[in-house]
Amino acid sequence: MSEDRDKVARFEAEALVHLDSLFGLALRLAGGEKARAEDLVQEAILKAYRAWADFRPGTNCRAWLMTILRNTFINEFRSDQRRPTPVEFDEVGDRSVFAEIQGIDPEGRFFDRLIDEEVIRAVDELPEEFRIPVVLSDLEGLSYQEIADALQIPVGTVKSRLFRGRKRLQARLYEYAREMGYIR
Amino acid sequence: MSAPPEIPCDEAVRRVYEFLDSELDATWQERVRRHLEVCRRCYPLFNFERAFLEHIRSRGHPVERSEELVTRIRAALDETG
Repeated sequence: MSEDRDKVARFEAEALVHLDSLFGLALRLAGGEKARAEDLVQEAILKAYRAWADFRPGTNCRAWLMTILRNTFINEFRSDQRRPTPVEFDEVGDRSVFAEIQGIDPEGRFFDRLIDEEVIRAVDELPEEFRIPVVLSDLEGLSYQEIADALQIPVGTVKSRLFRGRKRLQARLYEYAREMGYIR
Repeated sequence: MSAPPEIPCDEAVRRVYEFLDSELDATWQERVRRHLEVCRRCYPLFNFERAFLEHIRSRGHPVERSEELVTRIRAALDETG
């Protein structure tokens, strides 16, 4: 009984303090769908709680929880998990924002004028096949190999999805910036 | 007279993110680096792409709060025991 209370107390102190970070990642992975992100975090937290004996105190608890959350998302919450790999084709093409803007803002200063909400919206709107690698790389800091392992896809596919995902994201941010008048 | 770039622009440009992510092997990292030293077209493009990536990353790790979620999780943990 008191052992249980102790376990809960330790779990709360070490794991639940990372809830907001977990939810942030869950929201981006789920493309901003709040209910799906909440279900995902709850599922990951319960898994972590059941596996709490495996967690080695003194190691990085946040990283451990993030890995559980990521794997839970990939294995159980991805909406494309049963679909065949989509054709690697992108109608946006590799249109370069730089080519359009180099005459007026070659250093990309307009990026700094965008507000967080515009960036988040642009990430959330990416198709899942592009969004997940972008989130894992640019927000979570995973290497190409780590992303390939997590998604069980070849490193070459990670490269191409990151390339296209980032180009799409960049094109969207450029559009926002024009709409908002950050770029004349 | 400067030495000609060893790789053409398109070879460098298609590796822009791998280069900026430090994901190229040492040989290619060096090839692209040397290309950028001499190519007036690619250098500003790479700078722009670097600014873009830094911008995305500087938004930091997303942190969001959901009070309902906190309540739900405490209840679920109580049930699990």
